[in-house]
Amino acid sequence: MSKRLLGLILVLPALATITLLFIVPLGASVVGAFEVEGRYGLGNFDKAFALYSQDILFTVVIVSLSTAIIGLVAIAIGGYLTLGENPHAVAVLRWLYRWPLFIPFIVVGQVLRTFLAKNGMMNNTLVSLGILTPLETTSFLDWRGIVIAFVWKQAPFVALLVSGAMASLDRGTIEAARNLGASRLRILIEIVVPQVATTLIVGLVLSFVTMMSVLSVPLMINAQSPTMITADIAFRLNAYRDYGVANALGLISLLITASIAWIYLRHNVRSRA
Amino acid sequence: MTLAPFLEVKKASVAYGATTVLDGIDLAIAKGEFVALLGSSGCGKTTLLRTIAGFVMPSAGTVSVAGRDVTRLPPDKRGMALVFQSYALWPHMTVAQNIGYGLKLRHQPAEAIARRVAEMEALLGLTGLARRKPAELSGGQRQRVALGRALAIDPEILLLDEPLSNLDARIRLSVRHEIRALQRRLGITAIHVTHDREEAMVMADRIVILDSGRIAQAGTPEEVYNRPVSSFVAAFMGAENSIGLVGTVAGDRFAITAGPTNEPCAVPLSGRPLADGPVVARFRAEAAKLVPAGDAAHVPEGTLVLPGRIESASYPGGHWRHAVAVGPDTVLADAPQAFAPDAAVKVCVPPEALFLFNPPGAEPAAAEFAGHKTDKASELAGA
Repeated sequence: MSKRLLGLILVLPALATITLLFIVPLGASVVGAFEVEGRYGLGNFDKAFALYSQDILFTVVIVSLSTAIIGLVAIAIGGYLTLGENPHAVAVLRWLYRWPLFIPFIVVGQVLRTFLAKNGMMNNTLVSLGILTPLETTSFLDWRGIVIAFVWKQAPFVALLVSGAMASLDRGTIEAARNLGASRLRILIEIVVPQVATTLIVGLVLSFVTMMSVLSVPLMINAQSPTMITADIAFRLNAYRDYGVANALGLISLLITASIAWIYLRHNVRSRA
Repeated sequence: MTLAPFLEVKKASVAYGATTVLDGIDLAIAKGEFVALLGSSGCGKTTLLRTIAGFVMPSAGTVSVAGRDVTRLPPDKRGMALVFQSYALWPHMTVAQNIGYGLKLRHQPAEAIARRVAEMEALLGLTGLARRKPAELSGGQRQRVALGRALAIDPEILLLDEPLSNLDARIRLSVRHEIRALQRRLGITAIHVTHDREEAMVMADRIVILDSGRIAQAGTPEEVYNRPVSSFVAAFMGAENSIGLVGTVAGDRFAITAGPTNEPCAVPLSGRPLADGPVVARFRAEAAKLVPAGDAAHVPEGTLVLPGRIESASYPGGHWRHAVAVGPDTVLADAPQAFAPDAAVKVCVPPEALFLFNPPGAEPAAAEFAGHKTDKASELAGA
């Protein structure tokens, strides 16, 4: 009995931290999402959908598109690191690709804002190379800018996980395919990626959740409408002190990430069965 | 082998950085021959196999198949299929998909692939397992799937990289014979890498023993077993007992002078390339005969007699194995019955089981001997 009590006392600080800093605020937010002027109802959700349904769709599309591109870029990087035959190119890529991991989202937003603007560095370079005329330049500071920022920041993270998993594969499975005449692209698609699928999906789910919660990038790159849910939440809180709609929007993004996590869990269970 | 070489490795050298792994390997293999590359770990046998397969580029030398230089060709353009030590089956594919993948890469129609896969399954006793994944198979079944995957593309040369080392001992014995029988039936040329002497002896037409990147000896199992060309090969082939002796060449005999460990005797030279001076004598425990020290029974002429004292005895099965103190050395010798510890005995080694070598640096005729080993070996094989 006393041993059990001691155990409880030992986990108490951690338990209290989680309860006070995570479960209570989360519960308060969930409850708050259903609270309209002292009564419970779906009013906040009605308002959230009426005002921001386009933004919710925009967020899901942008984050899904970014996740898909991140997957492709990560497979390409990991694939080259695993199957590349030029040791110098592999070494350079291995050294380079991780850099964005160490740069915060806000800095990514700032860098890309100056890079992608109508008279930004990208267009200036294209104009000076004679590829575009100054009249043909367009600003990328819209949904494309957000996707570029997300891919730039998150692809290295997924590539890190995926290339680690690829490096720990039995090299024999790759060599056996080469021995039978498979090209490197076929080996990547038919032999390597299926074997690291679980790691790839974990990385993409984590990236999806991260991107759902980024506020700085949409604020820096795409402050006009439609924008992402995070920007709307910040706006409801800062401009209107409207906790109800902000909580409702928060719960909607939580449901989106939860459905993605559910897909991952289902896949995990199936691959273990 | 009197056939023209089908697969030929000429002066192949491989280096990883400053480490030389293969040093000027020359090897010619006839069509349909089963060759075992035998050696301890790190001797370069797997590197030689991978060089032949095209996964390792030699820094010097060539590999050719049927007179065609394939040194610079990728692995799939050499008409070879490799069976990996880990089997390297693709875990996400079924047995049928694993076996059929090489044919799929060759753009064969689906029915042709299905037919060939069924053929392979029947050949290898995998019928009924087509829809299973590798994780649902036993070790022996996985090994056969790996073999089926390699054989499905109908290669001219089958390369086996220690394919039996992951099987448990009992299955290994039967799979040895299965692979050998299959190779004979298909008439395929096979190169088998192993560190297991017995496996190489049982399976191969010819054994190539490698030692630190060079070929120590190549010959039939009988040749390398009964006529090792060096002390290393003798030791590797089981002649672990080693005694230092001194002797002189006298006509067609080598006269061993009496020493602290031995009685004098005159061993027939029988082609041994010996020079006067110190020699290393090697013999197998099972080839030696133990007799009590007082036994006055007739010792056949040319037998080396080492007086000694029994240190210990053990029973590995079939006979008793004794550790015998001979002078400062200890040798192992077998006898049908156990001798008591401390008993005075004589270890008798018949001349045909006694391998004599001049120590390194003192063997003038060794290279010449290696050159005409075949006729000498066949002449001595019956001795």
